[in-house]
Formats: sequence, structure tokens, C-alpha cells
Amino acid sequence: MVAFVTFALIVLFFTILVLIGKANELSEDLSGKGMNYDSKSKWNGYFLLGFIILFFISIVYQIKLLAPIMIPKSASYHGDETDRLFYVTLFFISIVFVLTQAALFYFGYRYNQGKNKEAYFYTHNNKLEVIWTVIPSIVLAVLVVMGMRTWFKIFDVESRDPNAMVVEVTGKQFQWMVRYPGLDGKFGKRIIDKEHITPTNELGIDFAGDPNSHDDFMADKLVFIKNKPVLVKLGAQDVLHSFYLPHFRVKMDCVPGIPTQFYFVPKYTTEEMREYLKTQPWWNTINPETGEPRWKTFKYELACTEVCGRSHYGMQKEVLVVKDSAEYMEWVKKQTPIYTPPAAATDSTASASAEGGSAGSGNGKAEAKDKKVMSELVGGTIHKSIK
Amino acid sequence: MSAESTTIPADVHAHVDTDHIHGHEHHEQSWLEKYVFCQDHKTISKQFLITGIFWGIMGGLLSVLFRMQLGWPNDTFPFLESLLGKWAEGGKISNEFYLAMVTMHGTILVFFVLTGGLSGTFANLLIPYQVGARDMASGFINMLSYWFFFSASVVLFCSFFIQTGPASGGWTAYPPLNGLRDVAINKGSGLGFDLWALAMTLFIISSLTGVLNYVATVLILRTKGMTMMRLPLTIWAFMFTAVLGILSFPALLAGVTLLEFDRLLGTSFYLNNIVVNGHLLDYKGGSPILFQHLFWFLGHPEVYIIILPAMGIVSEVLSIHSRKPIFGYRAMVVSIMAIVIISFLVWAHHMFVTGLNPNLAAVFVLFTLLIAVPSAIKVFNWIGTIWKGSLRLNPPMLFAMGFVSMFISGGLTGLMLGNSPIDIQLHDTYFVVAHFHIVMGVAAFFGMFAGVYHWFPRFFGRFMNDTLGYIHFYVTLIGGYAIFFPMHFMTGLPRRYYTFANFETFNNFNFLTQFISVAAIVVFLAQLLFVVNFFYSIFKGRRVDVERTEDGYTYGNPWDATTLEWTAPIERIHGNWPGEIPSVSRWPYDYSVNGKPYIAQSTPLAPGEIEHK
Repeated sequence: MVAFVTFALIVLFFTILVLIGKANELSEDLSGKGMNYDSKSKWNGYFLLGFIILFFISIVYQIKLLAPIMIPKSASYHGDETDRLFYVTLFFISIVFVLTQAALFYFGYRYNQGKNKEAYFYTHNNKLEVIWTVIPSIVLAVLVVMGMRTWFKIFDVESRDPNAMVVEVTGKQFQWMVRYPGLDGKFGKRIIDKEHITPTNELGIDFAGDPNSHDDFMADKLVFIKNKPVLVKLGAQDVLHSFYLPHFRVKMDCVPGIPTQFYFVPKYTTEEMREYLKTQPWWNTINPETGEPRWKTFKYELACTEVCGRSHYGMQKEVLVVKDSAEYMEWVKKQTPIYTPPAAATDSTASASAEGGSAGSGNGKAEAKDKKVMSELVGGTIHKSIK
Repeated sequence: MSAESTTIPADVHAHVDTDHIHGHEHHEQSWLEKYVFCQDHKTISKQFLITGIFWGIMGGLLSVLFRMQLGWPNDTFPFLESLLGKWAEGGKISNEFYLAMVTMHGTILVFFVLTGGLSGTFANLLIPYQVGARDMASGFINMLSYWFFFSASVVLFCSFFIQTGPASGGWTAYPPLNGLRDVAINKGSGLGFDLWALAMTLFIISSLTGVLNYVATVLILRTKGMTMMRLPLTIWAFMFTAVLGILSFPALLAGVTLLEFDRLLGTSFYLNNIVVNGHLLDYKGGSPILFQHLFWFLGHPEVYIIILPAMGIVSEVLSIHSRKPIFGYRAMVVSIMAIVIISFLVWAHHMFVTGLNPNLAAVFVLFTLLIAVPSAIKVFNWIGTIWKGSLRLNPPMLFAMGFVSMFISGGLTGLMLGNSPIDIQLHDTYFVVAHFHIVMGVAAFFGMFAGVYHWFPRFFGRFMNDTLGYIHFYVTLIGGYAIFFPMHFMTGLPRRYYTFANFETFNNFNFLTQFISVAAIVVFLAQLLFVVNFFYSIFKGRRVDVERTEDGYTYGNPWDATTLEWTAPIERIHGNWPGEIPSVSRWPYDYSVNGKPYIAQSTPLAPGEIEHK
């Protein structure tokens, strides 16, 4: 019923508009103005001038209203540089935007037919063409050079820290599988064949052949250490996914059958980011859902940015940045390895169980051999590599 | 078709009256030949336009529906269930159908409206008229072009009504999501995608048959005196659009065909080591990234296939209604050529973070930012054109100015997206949505509207209603910016999300998404007003002032334009001109010169007059 009434109202409204339009046309014809656009151009000149003024004002208003809500400052080192590049570009294009839009609409007002009867026959000016070819070219060249320097810094394999923390993230419909190498710092090998990939071991980890796999664990969140470089090794099971850490300015597609990776260094712990946001007015407003100031519940998140099917919008995971390796090790110790030693397993034929992306729910919590020694070793590596 | 064979003796048409749409020279055409399987470029143009309007309404309606989900993710709308049935049970659009709508919205608007509808309409109408030809080089192939387009439309439309729904893996059709014919992975990847691929294949055939004709007509059927440098910019734009189409559409055809091989025959062009529910499938050795290369090798030129015709129309409309020559004609022609060449060297800027070798990015960043130079030249020349003009601010002129405004706003953000390090954060987020909707969506529509309002008298001998045109313009201009400008602040929010409720990071913009949805509905209604105006004016619009000459035909030039289409009679006759085709002796931009408001291209140079260049 509501839909029908709405529909009827729209039809009525359109009919009225058409009648008004026709009436205007007839009155113009009667008054002999017909196709003369002098007075219409004058009116529209004012409208155009009004539009551009309001448009500029609305942009200022939008910046005031929306900028504080945007994703906050970068939480990684390379992100600072890409953000800076963004603002440098923004500076240049804002100048061009304001000048060209202002000229366009001002000319629309200034030279409308009601105001300016005579057009000026002027076909071209080669000098001007050269000027407005060369100046943009120079600006663009600068932007390309700046962009490429940043780009190759981000993807420069040679300068990467060989001791970077490595995390393996695999996307599947519709969740992230996060694998950490465990206390030994080494991932167990994966073998891609029908024998190794099974519903209980979707990644095809070679538990039987590679002892390094025995302390690998699946985590329910991504944990990084402040200032400790991270190399995220990415893959996908079924369709394309994209690994996206908005706060860290990190994004890379996960492609079935083709490994990809992203290297970056986290700059602020989750706590530090909260402290920073505490100083921002908008983040002190109360979130109606939690009843608390927004900064208090702030967390880093992982999202998927390549459409992967119906629940694409649900591929969320928390990201936590801790302050040092001690805090990290504390977390690692609480994790349960995927591997269950045969002796402790209830079913002696099943040697492994993978919990797609959710750690801590596994059974048979076997202690890794010589955990203490291992942890010291790994801890040492982490310590040394902090810059 | 040579000029001699179709020259029509004047007396054959002595009996026509103003309102009568006249047919063929010798025998009366049947209704079917005249309106359905017609080989006349003017009728084909109208067929493209009206099919385009149909798809425009469809595409717009889909966007309104998914904007309702985005604006009010927690509410239900019972009428949606009556409209969409099981896709909106309880009045809430399902997440599967949401993706299907996004996919179809993209496919419909990019290909069926802004390529078929825009190029098909105006290239068909204007190329023969403005170069001075009786018709396209091959009327028959031209007719086929429309009917392939029509078949593609039918197939695509049918895909809405099948059990598993239309294609839903994005208009870019990336495998493996669209490469596995498994409805458990994605409902739309079943029959829906096969129909999508069939529709696209038919569409590409339509496009290729069409554009071959355009190029041939411009190159060989120009009238006497119509040198290349005397062509209006519309024709330059249509011709180079056609060149882009010829060179790029085959890549997509190949890409989609191989994709269907993977889906139907079990090949592995794009698939490798796929694991579904813990089972390794048999596909080995393919690469999903290969498809992206093939897709974007068309995909990027495609955005210029959309925008170049709009640029051509806008150049012409701005000049005519400013009563001033286009500023820097040669620079405009050269910049079109530059855009065409460079547009083939930028495709991988859609793929900076897909696992492409980072070293390759350097080349694509360079050319992507380089293509901004010819685009900037065009903008400066348009502004130079209206400077010191005497602007007739009627709806076509306003839409042309709106085009320039949108093209600037959307084009500038391309400098951010085209720079790979900045693109890491912006890729596949609302910033991209804002960018391409403004620069090739809204802008191209503005160009199309400018063309429809401007050439409506050429189509139907009547004008569209000005008052409704003004309302349409201001609502669309303000509404277009209201929808897409605030999206720049949603930087970092992923595209194609059904709801942001799962993420604290993205969940702060609810009031804004609601505002955008309201704006989208208002803008959609304004487009319906345009459609009403269009059909109303065909029958009831104000008539063009005409002059009846002794050959029995009526002539009118409502905008005081120089180009040849207005030298043909208002009656749309086969062969366009009843007598000889006028010959051309000057460029098309002699406005406000030698004390005259305009000098038609067909007017010979006065003694001692030097041709302006």
C-alpha cells in the first residue's frame, strides 16, 4: 500500500512538472520570446555562480565533518611515506581543482548570453598550449619520481631484514587462516597434492616429514611486535582474496596457486594508537553500541578487499601490535600447536588436525620439546633485529 | 554505397509533408524494414538510444536497490520482496543478490549504456550526417551491429530470471570466483555467468561490427572538400573510439572464451591448485592474473571508449552554444590521438597489488600519469572555449559544462590512484568508487545528455522541454556531487561490502551512507524525469522553426550550427539529402566571424577570405 501511494505520488509529481514545463513553453511562445535564451541564460548564469560558491563551501564543511572520522594516521613506517605522497598530490590537485572549477563556472556566469552579447572570435594560442602542456608535465614527472622512490623502497627485497617475523596468511571463503611458525621460528613445509591436502589439513602441512611443522600454530588474530619487521606470506585456497590492513596501509591480493607477500614494519602498538586517539575530539565521543569513548575500543583489523563471494564483507580478524618480544612470547606460549603427537592423540591414525583459522580449540596440548631453549633462541633473534 | 547510386531525384519526394517520416526511394518499405530491420543509420541510432535508455533505467534501478541495503542495513522494505521475491525474503536483499546487483549494475552501465547506448547512438547519428555521407559504409552490417546488441541485451536480461540468479562475481569477472562453475562457491557463477559470457560475446560482436563501419565511413565516405582537418571534433572522437574498440575488444573476447573453456571443458588457463573444502581440484598451472591482464587490456581502453565520444560531443556543444570556435582545434585532435595511444599502455594500474611484479609498476605509473597531460590540455581548451563567448545557457550547454566540471573532479583523483604507492591503500575502496563514477560515470552521462538535448531536434524535429531540462540538470549536478564527493572521505572502506557492521574500523560512516542513498534516489528520479521529457517531447515537444524550400522539404538549423547535419531536411529521408550532398569548403567552427553569427561548412569561402585554422 505504502509502495503504491509512493508510486502514485511520484506519477502525480511528474505530471505536475510536465505541465509546468509545457506552460512555461507556451507562455514563452505567446510572449514572442520563443527560442530567445537571453533571460534564461542570465538566470542560469546566477545559478552557476551560486552553485560553485556553495560547492566550495560544502567541501570545507565536508572536510570539517568527515576528516576526523577517517581511518587514522598510519601505523606503519612505509605508510607514513605513502600518506605523505597522498597529501603532496592532494596539494597539487587542489590548486588545479579550485582554479579550473572556479574559472569554468565564473565564465558561465560572466559570459552568459544575457550579459555578453558578442562572442570573441579566437581560435588558438600555441604559446598557451605549450605552457599548459609543459607545466602539468613537470608536476607529473615530480610525482612519478617521488612515487617510484617510495614504491621501490616498499618492495626492495635486498634491503629487507632477513630476521623479519614471518606470518603465513591464507584466505578461503570466508575466513583467514593465520599460521605462525611457533617457537622454532620455522614453518613446516606444505605439500600441494591430494594426499596431503585433506579436510582436516587444508593447507597440506607435511606433519609426517617435517618436524618444523610440529609447533606451528593457527592464530585467531594477527599479532605483530612494534618496530619488528613483518613479512606476511600470502596465499588463497579457493578464489581471490585480498589481505588488507587499513591502519598499516598494507594491501596485497591472495591468489590461488601463486604466492604473494608484503613486508612492513609496525610503528605503534595498539595501546599507543589508543593513547594517540584519546587526544582526538571525535574519538572521545561515545560509541552508542558500546557506551564507551571510541578510542577505548579501538583495534587494528584485517579485511578482505577482493570480492570473494556472498560473505566477502565478513572476513574480519583482529590485529594486535604488542610492545616487545616478551609480550609476544607470552602470547605465543598460550597458543596450541596444530600438530598432535600420535601418542597423545585419541585416534592413532589421525596425526594432525587443522582448525581453519581458530586456535585454542584444539585438543591434546602437547608441549613442544625443549621449549625453553627454543624460546631463548627465537627471543634472541627478535631482540637483535629490532631497529 | 557510392554517392551516384543513391542520389535521389527530387520529384520522387514531392509529396512528403513535415510530419511524415519518409522511407525508401522507390518502393514503400514494409513496417518491418522501416522500424525493425532497418539499415538506415538514423533509425539504428534511435534503436541504440532507446535500448540504452531501457538499460539506463535498469542500471539505475539496481543502484537504488543496493543503495537501500547500504543506507539502511538494519531495516527491511516489504516492497522489495514483492519486487525481487526470494532474493529479498522478508524485505531484506540477500547478500548473494546484493553482489549480483553490483555486478549487473557495472556490466549494464559500462557496456550496455555508456558504450552501446552512447557510442551506438551518436556515432550512428552523426558520422554519416557530419562527414556528408548517404549512410554508413555498410548499412547491412550496421543493422547487424544493432541486432547483436539487442540479442546481447535479451540474453543479459534473461539471466535475471534463472534459478541461481545473474552473474555475481563482479563486472570484472575475475576467476577463480567466476572460473569455477560451482554454485556452492558463488551462486552467480553457475548458469548466470554463462549467460553473462554469452551476452558479452554478442556485445563484442555488435561493437566490432559497429566500429569497423564507423572507421570505414569516416575514412572513405567524406563528402567533397571534407578534409580530415575539417572534421568536427565529434567525428574525430568517434573515429578514435572505434579504433580503440577494434584493438581492445578482441582481447576481452579471447579472455572470456578461455574462461568458458576453464568452466565448461576443464582446461586450466586461469586455475591452479584450487582447494575447496579441503579437496584439491585437478586444475594445474594456470594463472588468475592472466585473466586480469586480458580483461584490463580491454578494460582500460574501455573507459576511453566511454569518455571520448562524450568529449567529442561536449567539444561540439560548448563551441556552438558559446558562439565561439573550439579553442585549439589541432591541440584537441592531437590530444585525442595521444589519449588513444597511451590508453593501451596503462592497463596494469588496475593490478598494482594483485601480485604483479613490482618492477612492472614503474612503466604503468609513468604512462598513467602521462595520460593526464592530454586530458589536462582538453580541459584547458574547453575552458578557453567558453572564455569571452556569448553563452547560450540552455540544457545541452549546461550539461556540457557539467561534463567538464565532473571530468576535472574525477580526473584529478586519478593522479593519486595511478601512483602505485598511494594505490596500495586506495585500491578497491570507496575512493576508487568515487573516482571512476565521477570521471567516467557521471561525466559520460553528462556528455550523453548534452548530446540528446542538443540533437533531439535532429532526431525528431522537436525540442525537449527546457524547464524540465533545467530541473534535470541541477538535480543531477548537485545530486551527482552529493553522492560521490563525500565518498572520497570514505578512503580505505572496501568496495562491494554488503554491510560494514563486522568492522569497527569501517562502521563510522552510517549517517553518510544514508545521506548518499537518499541522494541516489533523488538523482534516479531526476533521470526518470528526463525519460518522461524525452518521450513526451517526441510527440508534444516544441517544433523546430523550419523553412520549406521548393524541393518540397523543410529545413531548420535551430542552434545556428555550422555542421552538415543541419543542411539535411528535417524529414528523415533515406540518403539524408534529397539532392546532391553539400560540399565543404571550411572548418566547422566559424562562429561569430566576419560579422556573421556563423558560417556553415558548406558555404564557399568569400573572395579573398582566408580559411581559419
